[in-house]
Amino acid sequence: MAKAAVAVARSYEREGRRGAAADYDVGLMLAFQKGNELAFQELVERNQSRVIGLIYRFISDASNAEDLAQEVFLRIYRARKTYKPTAKFSTWMFRITANVSLNALRSRANRRDDVSIDQMSDFGDGPRAMPDPDSHLPDLHLHQRELQEKVQEAIQALPEKQQVAVILNKYEGMSYADIARTIGCTTMAVKSLLARARDNLKDRLLLYIRTGRGRQRVS
Amino acid sequence: MASPCQWVRGVLAAYLDGELKSSTAEAVRRHLEGCESCRAHARLLRESWGLLEEVPPAPAPTGFTERMMARIVEEKDLSALASRLRPDRLRRQVVASVLGVAAGLVFGFAVYSWTGLPQEPASPVEREVSRNVSFLEDVDLLDEIAVIEAMDRLMSPDETGDGA
Repeated sequence: MAKAAVAVARSYEREGRRGAAADYDVGLMLAFQKGNELAFQELVERNQSRVIGLIYRFISDASNAEDLAQEVFLRIYRARKTYKPTAKFSTWMFRITANVSLNALRSRANRRDDVSIDQMSDFGDGPRAMPDPDSHLPDLHLHQRELQEKVQEAIQALPEKQQVAVILNKYEGMSYADIARTIGCTTMAVKSLLARARDNLKDRLLLYIRTGRGRQRVS
Repeated sequence: MASPCQWVRGVLAAYLDGELKSSTAEAVRRHLEGCESCRAHARLLRESWGLLEEVPPAPAPTGFTERMMARIVEEKDLSALASRLRPDRLRRQVVASVLGVAAGLVFGFAVYSWTGLPQEPASPVEREVSRNVSFLEDVDLLDEIAVIEAMDRLMSPDETGDGA
């Protein structure tokens, strides 16, 4: 990446440290806001894997993940004039990513026409499309790929907020406080969401745990 | 009032994630030591959570930055076009065009009225042609004079031959 963009970003990073939130990406975003397009290019370079990875966790479709990642960065590009560094850049970016991903899931659900609109309410905790319980009967020789599909189904069957909390916590390693900032709720609410989510996942994946496919050692 | 087991199960996920205050976490740990049922519950939560690692990450993108920046260029082009086609700007452009044409017409008419047309030809050739044209304009008059002179000659005695 161009040295000039890096130098500008570092100068803004120092500026950002005086503010509420400071990180290198905030510095790049502020440099971009001042008209440095190379700073935006570096933001894309630095964050593309995380954004694509996160989208993939939501939609389980690698071919569409890149298109949606472009949509995320396009929203960031368009927001350059109004951007304010009030939080970590990743918090803001993950919020956009989660919204874009959930919109895509809603569109997909609408196209399939197999889920009622009420069940897919915005960040609602209502029931989602539930897989047929009989379809969870495991084959003793379940292949790895099938297990992956069942796990993905279990995640995608969670209510939207629980789904977001699970993905951010499990795959991005975010703390409850960071998740709360990302989805705009309290830390206590995240604690409650993840407690319910983990219970739901346990119930949906129970039979697979009993086949001995669980990998974590239980203390 | 929740039983100790109900309370522990309500905070078990946060306990497993290390998100409890140390004093609360210690209380949960002590309860798990003495409660087989809650230990089994905790084991299921951990194992089901561990299954989520079975899902592989997305494949690493290649050439994404280039494609993204190309899309940004398209975005800029579209923005520029949209800006030009904005209704208020379009309306201003139409009004300016109409006013421009009207001003041109008024100016042209004023120049025409002030200077008068046709103008004197500029080049020598044009001036020569112009003189010839003015001569030719008198041709009819000259013809009439010639006819009158011829009649006068016919009517004079010398021309009749009567003087012999």
